Amino acid sequence: MAVAVLAAAVVAWRSRASPDERAITARLEALRMDVNASTRDGVGTAARATEIGSYFTEDAVVELGRGSPPISGRDTLMGMVARLQPRTAAFRLDLDDVSVEVVPGGEAADVLLTASFVRRSISTGEESLDAHEYALVMTRAGGVWRIARITAIDTLR
Amino acid sequence: MSIEHSSVEPDSQANLTRRLVFGRHPRRTAVRVLVLATLSFVIFRWALIPIRTEGISMEPTYRSGSLKFVNRLAYQRRKPERGDIVAIKLAGPHVLYVKRIIGLPGERISIAQGQVYINGAPLEEPYVRNRRPWDVAEVTLTAREYFVIGDNRGMRAADHDFGRADVSRILGKVIF
Repeated sequence: MAVAVLAAAVVAWRSRASPDERAITARLEALRMDVNASTRDGVGTAARATEIGSYFTEDAVVELGRGSPPISGRDTLMGMVARLQPRTAAFRLDLDDVSVEVVPGGEAADVLLTASFVRRSISTGEESLDAHEYALVMTRAGGVWRIARITAIDTLR
Repeated sequence: MSIEHSSVEPDSQANLTRRLVFGRHPRRTAVRVLVLATLSFVIFRWALIPIRTEGISMEPTYRSGSLKFVNRLAYQRRKPERGDIVAIKLAGPHVLYVKRIIGLPGERISIAQGQVYINGAPLEEPYVRNRRPWDVAEVTLTAREYFVIGDNRGMRAADHDFGRADVSRILGKVIF
């Protein structure tokens, strides 16, 4: 019994996340909550877009693949977030299997995750799920982690 | 005598309850519970993962919302076969694609007017009920790739995730 407890403790100790990894995970969780908060809390669409934009670097690039042109720059991204707000309000964003690898030097990190967009039908109440895998590059500036690049990964090619 | 009885009864009742809950040998019961809990944890975490299917891409074989299990040990001794329904991981094991293998490594796959061709020969697929006239140009699978697709071909191809999957992405076989 003591051996099992000791083994579990060793496994837990070795698999613990570093402070940077925890900070990145927390940052992504905050982004998820802000996206899901939508504008229902009274904050205006533009303010919400600015808030979401703060999670990205100024020169952030989002590559969604499948023939979509890349979205370049935080301002473009914020404009899109504001325009799509009425549509995205019907979705719930979930982030799963978030793995973080901080690049030596500690100022950048590679993140791999699965983002699921869950939509609930108003008529039937049934939820439909659309999940995709994304690779993120995050950088730290002034102690804050921001997303510099999002690239969609084709799980099935 | 009757007085003695009434004073002992609550005690014997408590003993009976304790016996029913903890058994005759509480220590042995504790060990059994611990072993069972550990076994369940190991089995349902690493061997037989419970999943809930979402979406219509595997209909009519699997309905959305049905509970299935992924046997992670299914391909320890043998390779995936054509017709197997497999779970394919995205960034990790918490969100999975559930698809059927129709193409094996090294094969040439194409779809013309909804009919799947393997190395130029039509593939019989009794599990497919409705077919839209999908067209997919021929692809040759590498030694590490499987071609996976859902059973519901009645939906638009653009709404259906299918294609080549690296063997490392196959988490296990979907059962039950």
